[in-house]
Amino acid sequence: MITLDGISKWYGKFQVLSNCTTQVTKGEVVVVCGPSGSGKSTLIKCINGLEPFQKGDISVDGISVNQAKTNLPKLRSRVGMVFQHFELFPHLSVIDNLTIAPIKVLKRSREEAIQKAMLLLARVGLESQAKKFPGQLSGGQQQRVAIARALAMDPIVMLFDEPTSALDPEMVSEVLDVMVELAEEGMTMMVVTHEMGFAKKVAHRVIFMDQGQIVEDRNKTEFFGSPQSERAQQFLSKILHS
Amino acid sequence: MGDFDFDVIARSLPYLWKGMEYTLILTLTAMAGGIFFGTLLAIAKLSSIPPLSIAATAYVNLMRSTPLVLVIFWFYFLVPLLAQAITGSEQPVPVGPDQTALISFTLFEIAYYCEIIRAGIQSIPTGQVSAGKALGFTYFQQMLYVVLPQAFRNMLPVLLTQSIVLFQDTSLVYVISATDFLGAASKVAQRDSRLVEMYSFVAVIYFLISFTLSQFVKRLQLKFSIVR
Repeated sequence: MITLDGISKWYGKFQVLSNCTTQVTKGEVVVVCGPSGSGKSTLIKCINGLEPFQKGDISVDGISVNQAKTNLPKLRSRVGMVFQHFELFPHLSVIDNLTIAPIKVLKRSREEAIQKAMLLLARVGLESQAKKFPGQLSGGQQQRVAIARALAMDPIVMLFDEPTSALDPEMVSEVLDVMVELAEEGMTMMVVTHEMGFAKKVAHRVIFMDQGQIVEDRNKTEFFGSPQSERAQQFLSKILHS
Repeated sequence: MGDFDFDVIARSLPYLWKGMEYTLILTLTAMAGGIFFGTLLAIAKLSSIPPLSIAATAYVNLMRSTPLVLVIFWFYFLVPLLAQAITGSEQPVPVGPDQTALISFTLFEIAYYCEIIRAGIQSIPTGQVSAGKALGFTYFQQMLYVVLPQAFRNMLPVLLTQSIVLFQDTSLVYVISATDFLGAASKVAQRDSRLVEMYSFVAVIYFLISFTLSQFVKRLQLKFSIVR
């Protein structure tokens, strides 16, 4: 579904990604972890072309991201993305946040979009908040709305960029629960996160990044059982004992 | 107060009102044109296509570095000659003070509104832009549904303040003898030799309107700020 082939990216002379190669197959849940500044957020943003890269190629469902003739808006409309800081549109109500892209991008009728949005809100447990504005919701609620907004586009894959790191601790689980449910339903997901509990529960594969490189890319049991690199061992012992 | 004759105001009210009408038309036209074209110009200025952003920047710099009176004069005296050259007519083609004022004010205000709107667009966090892109919006959808609605809410007070300044600036059209509110009052004042009465009256009216509007802007500002 997604293939990354030798992705390299520089900010000026500083190399943020070097030769990253991996793939995500349909129905797979891949967790990307690593210390901050390791390039994991940058990597996931390359997949839907939010971050340009200088070398390598990414294709999503057979369509190359960095070719000039690629219709990027169309490609992005099929890839759901959830951000660290939610990024709901503050001037729109919750229901409008969920319906604006289906109506304007997918050209769905308003009724159809609202119907679908209400189902999704029910699914994340927020149908009673449809008329509110994002600023009136808690962080956890906002992030659940953001997940529903991405799902409203019927994406073929969902990208999560540290979806719980901006949340108060007691709100993390309500967001993770929604994500676990999504994973169990077979959604293809790539998740940048430090939540190792989530990784252990639903991930098929774990990618460990350090200094812009993919250091380990192995199935979950192998990764947690016996990480090969010293860097990953250190990372895991720190993160699991804290 | 024996030497003052405030009756002159009452006598000339219909004429003064005609002047005020023109002032309001001029203000609203320059405001509407300024905001509409200013938005397009701001988008051009921020565009990643060099010829577009260079042309837009040049226009804004030119207008903002030129006194408004000069723009009005240019237009009033040069456009007739230009029109003559283009149409090949024997005499300069007169444009008339009213049209001159409408067009030159709009052209001038576009540059000022453009700078306000550019700052407003740039005040929208990049995360919002990313979120719009990630949902599949094209550049223009993104502007229309995500960036501009938030930007306009943020800049509403500044836009209105600029419009109040514009309302006062329209009095400059007296230099080409257009009959705006001040122009009308001035003509009456000269005719009846009642300069003090008429100019005092004009000053009070300008103050009342501008002050009321700026109080209104203050209240609007509180009401419109976005809850984040």
